[in-house]
Amino acid sequence: MNIEQLLLAVLTYGCLYSVMTVSLNLQYARGGMINFGTVAYFAAGAYAYAIFTQEPPSGLDQYAFGFNSPWWVGFIAAGVAAFLFAIVTGWPTLRLRGEYLALTTFAFAEVLHSIFLNERRIGNGSVGLSNVNRPDFSWIGMSDNYGFAGAAILLLMFTAFLCHRILASPYGRAIDAVRDDETAAEAVGKDIKRLRFEIFVISAVPVGFAGALYAMITTLVSPGLFTAEVTFFVWIALILGGEHTIKGAIFGTLALILFEEVVRSFNFETVRSAEIAASVEHIMTGIIFIMILRWQPFDRFTKKEAVQ
Amino acid sequence: MTDDILVVNKLTKQFGGLKAVGGQGGLSFNVKRGALVGLIGPNGAGKSTTFNLISGVLEPSSGSVALNGKDLSNIKSSEIASHGLGRTFQTPRAFTSLSVLENVMVGAGSTGERLTSVFSGSWRTDEADIKSKAIEVLQQVGLDDRIGDIVANLSGGELRMLEVARQLIRDPEILLLDEPTAGVDPSLQGKLSSILVDLHNEGRTLIVVEHNLHFLLSIADVVIVLQNGELLAEGTPNEIKNDQRVISAYLGDEYAA
Ligand SMILES: Nc1ncnc2c1ncn2[C@@H]1O[C@H](COP(=O)(O)OP(=O)(O)OP(=O)(O)O)[C@@H](O)[C@H]1O
Ligand SMILES: [Mg+2]
Repeated sequence: MNIEQLLLAVLTYGCLYSVMTVSLNLQYARGGMINFGTVAYFAAGAYAYAIFTQEPPSGLDQYAFGFNSPWWVGFIAAGVAAFLFAIVTGWPTLRLRGEYLALTTFAFAEVLHSIFLNERRIGNGSVGLSNVNRPDFSWIGMSDNYGFAGAAILLLMFTAFLCHRILASPYGRAIDAVRDDETAAEAVGKDIKRLRFEIFVISAVPVGFAGALYAMITTLVSPGLFTAEVTFFVWIALILGGEHTIKGAIFGTLALILFEEVVRSFNFETVRSAEIAASVEHIMTGIIFIMILRWQPFDRFTKKEAVQ
Repeated sequence: MTDDILVVNKLTKQFGGLKAVGGQGGLSFNVKRGALVGLIGPNGAGKSTTFNLISGVLEPSSGSVALNGKDLSNIKSSEIASHGLGRTFQTPRAFTSLSVLENVMVGAGSTGERLTSVFSGSWRTDEADIKSKAIEVLQQVGLDDRIGDIVANLSGGELRMLEVARQLIRDPEILLLDEPTAGVDPSLQGKLSSILVDLHNEGRTLIVVEHNLHFLLSIADVVIVLQNGELLAEGTPNEIKNDQRVISAYLGDEYAA
């Protein structure tokens, strides 16, 4: 892999995953909600895109739906799918706090994963949907690689703008208040259920868009691509970025993607050494996660209060 | 409409086996619009619990509370707050990630707390008003020199005043204060007392829980005494000071006139 390809990959995937980290930043660092099911909204977007843009089933196809829509219809459908899935999962669970919410969202994501895996009519089961349609970038004179990098940057800019707009307003102030002290926030008239629900749902939408973009890039959606590993990756990136800011979330993600892509770009003489490198990458990711958790545990908000 | 702003009717609250409020027949009392009511009683008498029941932080085990004739059963505490009831907590609560100024500004309900106006940006016009109002109430409670500070730098007494400020900006019709002078130095206590008298003169209703009776009995026009969750006595400060049951249950001899 040459440097240009490497940088392009870091930029594309870095921005794509940053969309998720920035959304998670809104949910967790500001909204105080621990969502361990991020991958589900990503997968919902990717599948929605694939299903909307693919040909209707014919011959031996096992999937039941295909609408042959243009890419932008599929893209919008991806956002809507994530939005709807967030409503379905958020409504019954948002009363839960902390680790309970984390477990429930994780369970919802596992359920969705298992549906994709076992229900052939939606996405061909474990095989997934291949040859996902891509938009054509040639009309703006761009190669696909540059086109997708540009699209990822645009999507990230949109997400960051959305989050910034929300957080820099009285709405953001109210969310901070709810996270800091729900009882006191209610005593000044904040409807904590509404605020939490809205944040949960709205931050799922960009994740759905990211899923669509991911499907375009890989041209494949299959259950194997949407495992809890994606969720953990985004969490590690968010915690790595520290400082509950949009910028921090983006830098954390870019750093982590760079690390992974560099490890992957080494040329290995033997299959054996490639295998070792792959395990080392996993171990390193785990160690980073442990180190980060050790020094910045989840309860750092309550810690702040203790400084009295 | 009657001139009772608050009607507490046969209220009880049970924690496990302990009846914190209500005793035998439940706790009942009325508060007249515009009154400055002192709520006193020994530690554990159920004063803070009564506040929590009125403001919807806790659900009563039985009985009801009505504000301006409206039954508050099954109404969320945030909604009760929006109906014009403000309160502070015995242990001051602050939003630690917000600045002192923001802690007060967040008290004012802004149109910018609706997603639609977040994106239209229409909240910006109100924001300047909210800010100047916040500075005004911070001046009122003597915190104007701490405006840009972070909350972690405030002392216990200052946190208490911050909470009062956060309620003042809401312009509550009725304000419940739980031990507002605890940990507050004498000069600020004087300030607080004049704030309460001002609010009282504006026609607002106040219920103040206090162990500092020099402070409370000088400003209250009605005093309610609780003991073991039950109403022990109700009357003017002078009647209460001379009530033999109140003296033996709570006051001691010091206040007898
Ligand atoms: N959340 C709770 N769970 C269990 N018991 C409680 C709870 N809140 C209060 N209590 C109990 O209810 C009783 C009344 O408490 P409350 O805080 O209302 O008293 P108080 O009159 O405000 O006393 P103080 O003057 O010490 O503030 C006490 O016995 C207390 O232990
Ligand atoms: Mg109390």
